[in-house]
Parts: sequence; structure tokens; C-alpha cells
Amino acid sequence: MLDLTKGQFVKHVIMHPFEGFEDLRWKKSGSMGIAFAVVCLLFVQQIAYSRLYGFQYYSDYDKIFNIVPYIFRSFILFGTWVVANWAMCTLFDGEGTMKNIFINSAYALIPYITGYLIGTVMSHFLIKDEYIFIQSVEIIGTCWSFVLLISGIKAVHQFSFGKTIALMLLTVVAMVAILFLLVLLLTLFQQVLIFILSIYTELSYRFRV
Amino acid sequence: MSSLKKLLSLVSAAALTVSALAVNVSALEAYDPYSYDRWGDPVASQAGYTAEKYVDGEIIGCGNFLEPADMYISHDELMYIADKGNNRIVITDLDFNLKGEMKEFSYNGETLTLKKPTGVFVDQYTGYIYICDTENDRVIKCDKNGNVDRLFEKPTSELYDQNLTYNPSKVLVDKAGNVYVVVKSQTKGAVMFNAEGEFLGFYGANRVEQTAEVLANAFWNLISTEAQRERSAKQTPIGFSNFDIDDDGFIFTVTDSQDIQTDLVKKLNPRGDNILDSLGVADMTFGDIPPAYYSIYSKRSSLTDIDLGPNGELNILDFQHGRIFQYDKECWLLFIMGGTGDQLGLFQAASAIESHDNHLYVLDSRKNNLTIFTRTVFGEIVTNAANLYNDGLYEESLEPWQNVLKYDGNYRRAYIGIGNALYNKYEYEEAMKYFKISISRGRYNRAFEGYRDQWLKANYMTLIVVIVVLVILIIVYKQLRKRGKIVYPWDKNRRGGV
Repeated sequence: MLDLTKGQFVKHVIMHPFEGFEDLRWKKSGSMGIAFAVVCLLFVQQIAYSRLYGFQYYSDYDKIFNIVPYIFRSFILFGTWVVANWAMCTLFDGEGTMKNIFINSAYALIPYITGYLIGTVMSHFLIKDEYIFIQSVEIIGTCWSFVLLISGIKAVHQFSFGKTIALMLLTVVAMVAILFLLVLLLTLFQQVLIFILSIYTELSYRFRV
Repeated sequence: MSSLKKLLSLVSAAALTVSALAVNVSALEAYDPYSYDRWGDPVASQAGYTAEKYVDGEIIGCGNFLEPADMYISHDELMYIADKGNNRIVITDLDFNLKGEMKEFSYNGETLTLKKPTGVFVDQYTGYIYICDTENDRVIKCDKNGNVDRLFEKPTSELYDQNLTYNPSKVLVDKAGNVYVVVKSQTKGAVMFNAEGEFLGFYGANRVEQTAEVLANAFWNLISTEAQRERSAKQTPIGFSNFDIDDDGFIFTVTDSQDIQTDLVKKLNPRGDNILDSLGVADMTFGDIPPAYYSIYSKRSSLTDIDLGPNGELNILDFQHGRIFQYDKECWLLFIMGGTGDQLGLFQAASAIESHDNHLYVLDSRKNNLTIFTRTVFGEIVTNAANLYNDGLYEESLEPWQNVLKYDGNYRRAYIGIGNALYNKYEYEEAMKYFKISISRGRYNRAFEGYRDQWLKANYMTLIVVIVVLVILIIVYKQLRKRGKIVYPWDKNRRGGV
């Protein structure tokens, strides 16, 4: 029963939103490598969405290209989600480890990424009047991912449905708090750096012969 | 040592020559001609007009001007200049030979004089001259000899708030002989009289700009009592400051304000509705797009005068930066020229603009002179191309637009024009290229639709064959996998067999 490789498990999980993650947990077949590849794919998808979309739909201000927003929207946001979820689950007595949360969340993102990548490809063949087709693909992908995410978090912590939703809402709150603190930290480090630099400048003027 | 010096001087002389050669034609202007791209960023461009010369009162032969405030070029090619400081109207022809001076007017046996006239207009149908005698609170309608036909004074009607001053600053007359007067203190629009001097009402008020304050006041008005409402400050729009009328009877207004963006330029139909909406440009930014690059102070334009050119071009004068913005009748930016300063082509207090044929005339009330701009070769080509384009002759405009690109590769409109011409010739693939360069998605979408149809028609059979072959291949592959004919190396890791 369910003698699948790690790679085959990805397909199984996505195609069985309700018991897939339970099977994954039971078989301990989640792969960190695949999960990380998915997050990298999310990064690629974010860039493709704003840079490779069909010209008739969307044209970005292309005089400058800044990669930081894309890194933020993929790696940082996902990382914060995992950390915040892990931090919050301890309050709810969740059973998930950081690794399993990472794997389940990443697997759950696959339909979203696929939907948007397919949409990006389709945007090169369709005209504006036919946008509804692209839109439906993207919406289906997003909804599917959302269902998978709920199911994945539910399975990894062995929670009831209501508790899962509550945990996810709290996770979002925690993410905001973490990001706020991060920005604060960065600003503080900047201040310290400026302070050290000004001391260096002061000294270098003073000891000039 | 001396040989080194010689070498150095030679090198520097060579460098000077090279740099002088490298300077393009447009550097003849005292300012850098520029234009705006799709994103609202300024890009260097070629000069569409060049400042040819200036004319002052001495040259005309009527003595120096003092703060000239307005001018009008009549249909019999005479220029009327309202010389505000000298309380007179100067009339010259377009070669600047003095044709007359109006200082005194006879009205029912009395002699009237002007006091700070700031507006002048000539009715092309009747030939009557209308003068805003600003500080005497009246508009004078007279013939060429100074015989006053009628005075338009402060209306006594109840509709007109008698507490407000009546200092007419600009005037114009429509086909029916109705007189429109801009009064600075009046925010309800232009004061409108019929030909008999009867007060008809107000015309073409601006809207109040939607700001957070306006919304908040609307909320408080909902819950406040009648008495409270009475005492609160009323939201009033800013009255427009200048206008011009085109041959079809549409009145164009400009509003001289740096604080608001609503209704700065309007095209009014006889009912007083702004019909720029129908062009889809009601929310367009006329003048400099903030922040105003290419200027020392990043201030908003303050649009002080508008003039309609022979092809329906809008010439808008910006007092703040001393710039002239020329738009074609579809409100596409054509050229920007001028600036602030003392040199020819720059202004200190630009007060009025008029156009005739391929010339633009700009009055400066601080330099007390009149600058004449003449269209350049580049300007001619662009104007020609734009006119053809606006008349719907896309294919005929192809060559002129290609010429435009030879002068200025940044000229976005040319790419759109060429794209449209190619689109009309069913050359969709080429058209797509041009629309992509000009970043116009809607047009690109249409061209792409055509291109896709063409491609499908041409490759219909190939496409069907490819799809059928693919489907067959997939079926065959699946069958072979099922029977274990294709085994991949990683299949052996699979615990349950294939």
C-alpha cells in the first residue's frame, strides 16, 4: 500500500488534498530537497509573472530591475511563514517540526506556482478578450493551493479544522510582527554602522600626520 | 616645454571643435527641448519651434510697452495688444508695422479712457473689438474707430453676488454674439451676456477637487444642522483664468493654479460640459508632469493662457516655468519649448500666447516684449504627420512618421503612428514591434489578434498534424510504459513495481 518514492509522493499529495498529507506523514516521505526546489520555483514564478507576461496584458516599468522585491515575495515571505507557524504551533501543542512544516507548506504551493506559470505561458497565445481563461487557471491554482495548505498544516500538527484555521490566522499575525522586528533590527544595525563609521572618520582625521 | 604647451593647446582646440560639431541642431535654443515618454519621464527631444526674434514697442514704433497683458490676432491678420501699464490697445500687422493705437473711446458724446486693460478680443463675424477695461469694471464693445457700441458692466441681477468685485480680465464672443467674461473674483464660471448686454448667467464652472477635506465636509454636512451648515466654510472651485474659442464654437479654458489638478484644461461645449472626457483625456496632466524635471525648481506648471492653432492645436502657456506646451487636437503632446531667463526664447513673466500660420507669439509682461517662434523643419514634419494621423489617414502618415524618427528616435507618437499604418496594411507582425517599442498595450493587443489569425490561417494544417502526432505519441508511450517496454534507471527504487 502506497509504496511510492519521494518524488511520486509529491504527485500523490497534490492529487489527494484530504488524505495526501496524512499519508505523507505516516510514510515519512517528505523531501527537504524537493521542498526547497519548490520555493526556488516560487521565486522564478514571481519574476516570470512580472517580466515574462504577455505584453498585451501587462508591461512593467522596465527601466530598472530590482531583484529584492522578488526575493522578499518568495524566500523571505515563505521563510517567515514557516518560522511563524512553528512558533505559534507550540502554543497550540502542535506536533509539527520545523522541517515538516517547511515540506508541507512548500508542497501545498505547487498548484499555485503551476497555475501562474501556465497562465504566463498562455498569456503569449491569448488576446485580452480571452483573459478569462488565464484568470480561471490562476484562480483554480490559488484555491487548490489554499485547500492543500489547510490540509497540510492540519496534518502536520494533527489538529482539528477549526484549530488549523485559528493557527493560520495567528501565523499571519506573527509574520507581521516578525517582519516588523526585522525591519527595526536592520535600521538599528544601520545606525550602529553609521556610528562606527563616523568614529573611524573622526579618528582618521585626528591621527593624520 | 613650449612644445608641450603647443601640443596641449592643439589638443584642447581639437576637443573644442569636436564638441562644437557634436552639438545637434536643437542646441541653438537657449533651453533643452524635451518631451515626455510613456511613463511620464522626460526625454530629450528635438525643437519643434525655434525662437526667431523678439519685438518690443520701440521696434513697432509706439513707445515701450508696460506690462502688456493680452493679445489677439484677428481674422484680418491684425494683432491687438492690451498694453496694460500704458492704458492702451496697440494694433499692428503681423510684420509689426503700427496700424493704430486705441486710447480714447466715444460713447454717447462722452469720452471714455481705459484703466489697466487686461483682455482684448475681436469678433470675427462682426468685426467689433471687445476690451476688458479691468479697473473701470467694464467690458467695452467698440468698432475700429473707437466708437463704443455697448458697455458690459456689473450685472444687477440677483443671481450675481453684489458683494463681489467685477474686474473683467478676459473676454471672448461666440458665433451667436454671446459675450463671455472671466472675472477673477467669480468662481462660478465665466459671466455670460447676450448680444444686447443682458446678463444670462454663468458658464462652465470648474469642479471642486475631490480631496480628503471635501469628503470630510460632505460627511459633516450630513449630520450637522441647518444653522451649523450655514456657518461652515463652503467648498468652492477655483475659477478658470483664461480661455479661447475655436471655429466650431468650443471654448477651451485653463485654470491658473498649482494646488489642484482638477479641470486645469477643459474643452467646453455650448452647454458648458467638459467634453475632453470623450477623448479619454479628462484626467490627463497638462503642462509639466510633476515632479517637473529639467527645471531648477520642481514646481507645478501654472497654466496662464491657452490658444488654438490653425489645425486645432492647443498652445498652453506655463507662467511658472515660462514654457509653451503644444498639444494636437487629440491632446497628444507635440512639443515643449521655452524656459525662464533673459535670453531669446526664455521668459520672465509670460502672459499671453497667440498663434498664426506656423508662428507662435508670446507676450512677456516683465520683459515688455513679444517673442516670435517659428516652426522648425522637424516641427513641420511632426505637425504634418499628426494632422494626417488625426484625420484617420494612417497609411499616408507612414512616411512622415518615419521621417520623424530620423530626427528623434525618442518620439513615442511616431512609433504608434507607424504601427497603426502597418496595422491598417495588415502587416501585423511589424506593427506589433512598433507598438511594443511605444508601450501601447491596447494597440499591441489588436495587432497580436490579427497576427494570430494570420498565423493560424497559414499554419492550420501543420498545427492539426502536429497535434495528432503528439496525441498518438503520448498514447504509444503510455502503452509501452504499461507493458514495461520502457524502464528508466530510477524505476528500480520504486518499491511497488511499475
